[in-house]
Amino acid sequence: MISFEKFELRNGLKVIVNEDPSTPLAAMNILYKVGARDEDENKTGFAHLFEHLMFGGSVNIPNYDEPLQRAGGENNAFTNNDFTNYYLTLSAENLETAFWLESDRMLSLAFSEKSLDVQRNVVIEEFKQRYLNQPYGDVWLLLRPLAYKVHPYKWATIGKDISHIENAAIDDVKSFFSNYYRPENAILTLSGNVTVKQARELAEKWFEPITPGTPKGKNGNYAMEPVQKEKRILKVEKNVPASRIYKTYHCCSRMDKEFYATDLLSDVLSKGKSSRLYQSLVKEQKLFTEMNAYLMGDLDKSLFVFEGRLVNGVEMEQAEKAIDTEIAKIKNEKAGEKELKKSKQQLESGIVFSEINIANRALNLAYFEMLGNASDINSQVDFYNAVTGAEVQQVANDILREENCSVLYYQAGK
Amino acid sequence: MYDRNIAPALIKPDEIKIREPEKIVLENGIPIYVINAGEQDVIKIEIIFKAGASEHKNFLIAGATNELLDEGTKHHSAVEIAEEFEFYGAFLHAESTADWASVSLITLNKFLEKVFPLYHEIISEPVFPEQEIETFKIQNKQRLQVNNNKVDYVARKTFNQKLFGQLSPYGFYQAVEDYDKIDKNTLLNFHHANYLNGIFAIVVSGKVRESALKLISNFFGKTPLIKNTISTPGFQNGSMGGKYFMEKQGAVQSGLRIGRVLFNKAHPDYKGMSILNTILGGYFGSRLMSNIREDKGYTYGIGSALVSLQNTGYFFIATEVGVEVRDAALKEIYFEIKKLRGELIPAAELELVRNYLIGAFQRSIDGPFALADRLKSILTFNLGYEYFYEYIHSVHTISSEKIQNLAQKYLSTELLTEVKIG
Repeated sequence: MISFEKFELRNGLKVIVNEDPSTPLAAMNILYKVGARDEDENKTGFAHLFEHLMFGGSVNIPNYDEPLQRAGGENNAFTNNDFTNYYLTLSAENLETAFWLESDRMLSLAFSEKSLDVQRNVVIEEFKQRYLNQPYGDVWLLLRPLAYKVHPYKWATIGKDISHIENAAIDDVKSFFSNYYRPENAILTLSGNVTVKQARELAEKWFEPITPGTPKGKNGNYAMEPVQKEKRILKVEKNVPASRIYKTYHCCSRMDKEFYATDLLSDVLSKGKSSRLYQSLVKEQKLFTEMNAYLMGDLDKSLFVFEGRLVNGVEMEQAEKAIDTEIAKIKNEKAGEKELKKSKQQLESGIVFSEINIANRALNLAYFEMLGNASDINSQVDFYNAVTGAEVQQVANDILREENCSVLYYQAGK
Repeated sequence: MYDRNIAPALIKPDEIKIREPEKIVLENGIPIYVINAGEQDVIKIEIIFKAGASEHKNFLIAGATNELLDEGTKHHSAVEIAEEFEFYGAFLHAESTADWASVSLITLNKFLEKVFPLYHEIISEPVFPEQEIETFKIQNKQRLQVNNNKVDYVARKTFNQKLFGQLSPYGFYQAVEDYDKIDKNTLLNFHHANYLNGIFAIVVSGKVRESALKLISNFFGKTPLIKNTISTPGFQNGSMGGKYFMEKQGAVQSGLRIGRVLFNKAHPDYKGMSILNTILGGYFGSRLMSNIREDKGYTYGIGSALVSLQNTGYFFIATEVGVEVRDAALKEIYFEIKKLRGELIPAAELELVRNYLIGAFQRSIDGPFALADRLKSILTFNLGYEYFYEYIHSVHTISSEKIQNLAQKYLSTELLTEVKIG
């Protein structure tokens, strides 16, 4: 249970405060509702590159990190297909430094050419390090365009291709900023040793003078992915030590009410060593060294994924057939009461543990506010508990259909 | 109105007070450290064993024993064990290092009594079934094969092998076929000698009630203890210097590691070196990050660290850089090391690092589990809480001259081992 208060500034910025006097620290989180899905198809990877540029100095402050470190603070950020998130923690006495820094970069960036030059290179190295120079690093670069033909989820957050990052220009940076980095498109949350009164005063002082913008981006109008009508298959052979199989199915979005049943379906299938897939496919049949089923949980229609790592020597066909047998089981017979209760208790415990850390709490509040209402954060357990075995079986039948599947055979080769 | 060009005045945080644990000693002499803190109704119980890799001549045995504890006991099969913990949403976390092993139970308090007996059972009566050992081997062999294709893993492995050698648990890295030398009897014997008889300490954190302590005492307080003393940490030598290069076909980045054998946190120069390390590569604003990432754009990240082992320690710099800028990046790394030796650190930079480190320390003691980790970090070195207060004092008072002296004393380039992979 997280207690909080919420208010909105005149420029549309939403502010949420969770008071916790038990810590000497404070965490600040700013979520901007912009991600890779908002990008132009010919300029992919931009939302993430932009996140790097947010550290390249703002209109009145030449360097973001230095004053924060001088105040004993630490920060980071991440970008995904749906949103971009910035967070920091510091000792509560110096919370105003955080307001000063974050409000200035919402006011305007410095738009430095040097910073763009350097961060283009940094992001290209990130592309190489995480996607090209790791075994299996390119899996999602292959899977996304297989599963999506139209919707912008067809490209990865890092971008389709290094050339898109190389070609990013300062004008792109400026228009992206004015389209998306506006107060009404952001959620500011605070957690830790801060009072609502103090947060309100500081927010009014530092953030309220920022003028709202006139968002010109996609604004929620993303190309709808047409219903998939037949199974898609991609086979690749790569220089990796062991083969893997990925099966993805189109499923509901994070906002849909079926989300909770779908999430439980993935947990019944593969959460923990006692789960169905681990017991049957890893332990009993010894076909896989690891086997997982999970949901991407995107804000638009999303993917349900099976990821299996094949034991050396096992054939791809045999591996897929074994997964399909497990899928048939959960479609034909509803999940048992005990296994459903297990999944619910695992989720409840995971939620409680995620609320220990103030930075997590600040992020989770912002995330739920983005979904529609911060107070749903305290109803999650109820939402999961309300799901029945029949509902889990229903989503399995709705989603896990052959013609809804895109499969990647990632073969170990030379 | 106010001027956005001017930073809000900084306020020095209050003097740091670390919440110290309550210590209880069980009938058989096992010490329990209790950190009763936090708002959430959760608990973590971690038992630390003197059961690291160094306790057996085959260095893989300790890790295998540790990982297989929950794969079957005298009374329950692997699946029954997993089923029981997972039903209550409890987590088991087992880890082993060159020197130590530990097994943690993390659970909501409301289910503690349900899962605790089984936690005791996997620690006291594991049977290591043959077929679970088989699965373990298959999984670990494949994981290793994948790791052997990652430049950062190969750089780390090569670096540690060069520093300490394959005959030391600190330098040992397994080959795929080494997993074939693991058998059930060896695991049973290792467990017998080093687990129930090798409990070093129990650390309990979270919302800790009297009933939890009673459970621990009932289950773990009766068995006689044979081996719970540790030797005072020593300072084992390793080899110095040398440059090693291994090409990896098709790599678009190289993994780099540069460093040397040093000492652990019981050494008088450790605190100063850890401040020096922060300046060089220990935070986002460090010299290596500022130069090699934020100015040159050669890498996604670069950092340095000090590692404390039971009988020694080491210092290293690690990064992955584009193959075409590898030599340019190396040149800048050495430039920064030489600069630390040749020039005094400017007062403003040192002031920033002092503030940053105090903030970092505050974060590292925030919440019950963080406090437990801090405690663990000194417990195995026989150090008390004065260690932390001395560290904070060093952060406040260390001079630029002292830092330069340390750089001159410990960071001569000819003593550094350099590894390039890819």
